[in-house]
Amino acid sequence: MRWIAAHPALVNILLLVLALLASVAVGSVLIPPLAIFDVLRLRLGGASLPPNLEPYAAILFSLRLPRTILAALTGAALAGSGAGYQGLFRNPLADPYLLGVASGAGLGAVVVMSLRLPYGWFSLLAVPLAAFLSAAATVFVVYLLARSGRTLPTTNLILAGVAVSSFAGALTSFLMLYSTGELRRALVWLLGGAASSGWEPVLGMLPYVSLGLGILLTRGHALNVLQFGDEQAQQLGIPVEMVRGVVIAAVSLATAAAVAFSGVIGFVGLIVPHLVRLVWGSDYRRLLPISCLLGASFLLFADILARIALAPQELPVGIVTALAGAPFFLWLLRRTRAQQAW
Amino acid sequence: MKRLRIVWSILLLAAVLLSACAPAAAPVAAISLKDGLGREVKLDKPAQKIVSLSPSNTEILFALGAGAQVIGRDDLSDTPAEAKKLPSVGGNMGKYNFEEIAKLKPDLVLATGINTPEQVKALENLNVTTFYLENPKDLDGLFKNLETVGALTGRTAEAKKLNESLAKRVKSVQDTLAKAASKPKVFYELDATNPAKPWTAGPGSFIDKMITLAGGQNAAGGLKSEWAEISQEELIIQNPDVILLGDAAYGVSPEQVASRPGWSAIKAVKEKRVLAFDDNLVSRPGPRLVDGYEALAKAIHPELFK
Repeated sequence: MRWIAAHPALVNILLLVLALLASVAVGSVLIPPLAIFDVLRLRLGGASLPPNLEPYAAILFSLRLPRTILAALTGAALAGSGAGYQGLFRNPLADPYLLGVASGAGLGAVVVMSLRLPYGWFSLLAVPLAAFLSAAATVFVVYLLARSGRTLPTTNLILAGVAVSSFAGALTSFLMLYSTGELRRALVWLLGGAASSGWEPVLGMLPYVSLGLGILLTRGHALNVLQFGDEQAQQLGIPVEMVRGVVIAAVSLATAAAVAFSGVIGFVGLIVPHLVRLVWGSDYRRLLPISCLLGASFLLFADILARIALAPQELPVGIVTALAGAPFFLWLLRRTRAQQAW
Repeated sequence: MKRLRIVWSILLLAAVLLSACAPAAAPVAAISLKDGLGREVKLDKPAQKIVSLSPSNTEILFALGAGAQVIGRDDLSDTPAEAKKLPSVGGNMGKYNFEEIAKLKPDLVLATGINTPEQVKALENLNVTTFYLENPKDLDGLFKNLETVGALTGRTAEAKKLNESLAKRVKSVQDTLAKAASKPKVFYELDATNPAKPWTAGPGSFIDKMITLAGGQNAAGGLKSEWAEISQEELIIQNPDVILLGDAAYGVSPEQVASRPGWSAIKAVKEKRVLAFDDNLVSRPGPRLVDGYEALAKAIHPELFK
């Protein structure tokens, strides 16, 4: 335990490598490790595959690898964003969906589905695109509503976020019921995101998550100082309002992309930063990157469980993150209760 | 006139020549059909290893005698009993197990209205030939679907035979219904977890059309959407002659309906015309829809089917 606490980066990188390997190796269909090796060797060597390996190649390259990268990116985006918001709002209950990203994305997706565009690349692209744009727009509306003169009080932000989220959520439900026929597609989307295979979702998500998290990671110091309160941070030379705007923009970018392609996954953004804080302390310069790494591993392991728990049936990953994550978190919380972590 | 005949002969000759050399020029797919999403689906030969993604598709395949060509099915496919022995590829809560589908190496995946375009795309990414069978809008749509699946599976003759016998049964019901003196009002209950506003099938839904076709009128015909909650007040005003419990499979019984507060004011409850109804017969767009049609007609016009 002491060794783990002393080497946050090393421990989390090892954990992530382990999670990535396990996620490629484990699934509802058992692929013998030798076959994985053969497929990789033949594919990378440009040779054609024998027919008995073909289904394995399809499973590996069209399903597991993209799914693995997608889950890792999503976990990193959510956990990093969660850590950022908890610091920004100085509120342990803040999660990346606080300002309406999730309900905004859902609304955008359902609006496009209700248009019943003819099947094709455009209609398939339109759903995540609309989810992304609508998520970003929702946060912007919250931002405008919360602004009071030239200041941006956090209480206003949180309240505006809750109100706008509820409004968007209600609109989504209304559309689902009254734009007939697409109810099922919308339900499937809202329950677990788009059924994804292939690399398009990964490519679609990568730039926004990288940019969002990249910006967020440079704000560790500012978030540290912000913990003293707005006024003191201002006196210590931190442009509070600007930091707030930048962090919100960065988080929204990363989370909107994650939600657009992976659906709304709860718990990761809320709990992973707390886990990191309990074990490795609350210095935001460390908390932010370590949260990203642990978030990726956490969601990968949850996704593996979702695949194998009831195989060949799949569980929505959100159920697994909460079912497996909550007891573990509570155990850790009791263990370390003596110290004041928050 | 003569010139026309010459043109004709040239055209005819050209057609013959073209059709003669066509197979040599390029191997034409034996089967090429447009599916419900407007995709052109091609098969070299009738599908022999089929994965069905919905109960209705499974029922269609088995009804056409293509059961032995099915190698996988979704979780909810429970009819006929043989289908349950096949490996499942998921489908509960709309989540399919694409790894399992890839492993089965089907030469055709038969998708349908309960599947999303995203799922079809996911199958395309796996290089699995996928046909999206659109939900029928009426019984003619069902016959067309049976024909389509017949063509995909090399069961054209069986499809034709099945369609003929189904059409005959529909005709016989319609002939009987022609003698009906009234159009009873029917309330079709989908879910009444909250009996103050039960879910029902509104105008334009398949059930709505079937009720009309079976000589009744839908008590929920004035609602705004295909799936909707009707207020109990409206239901009492509509005062249906018959209540059909599509949720009977979930344990709802006529006695229970009678004991719901306020429901005793409804004519169907007073006259004890609250009937359990097998919802699968009208919600699964497969050949059993005709069973459903017969059952509906009997429930709505018992006096004609003694």
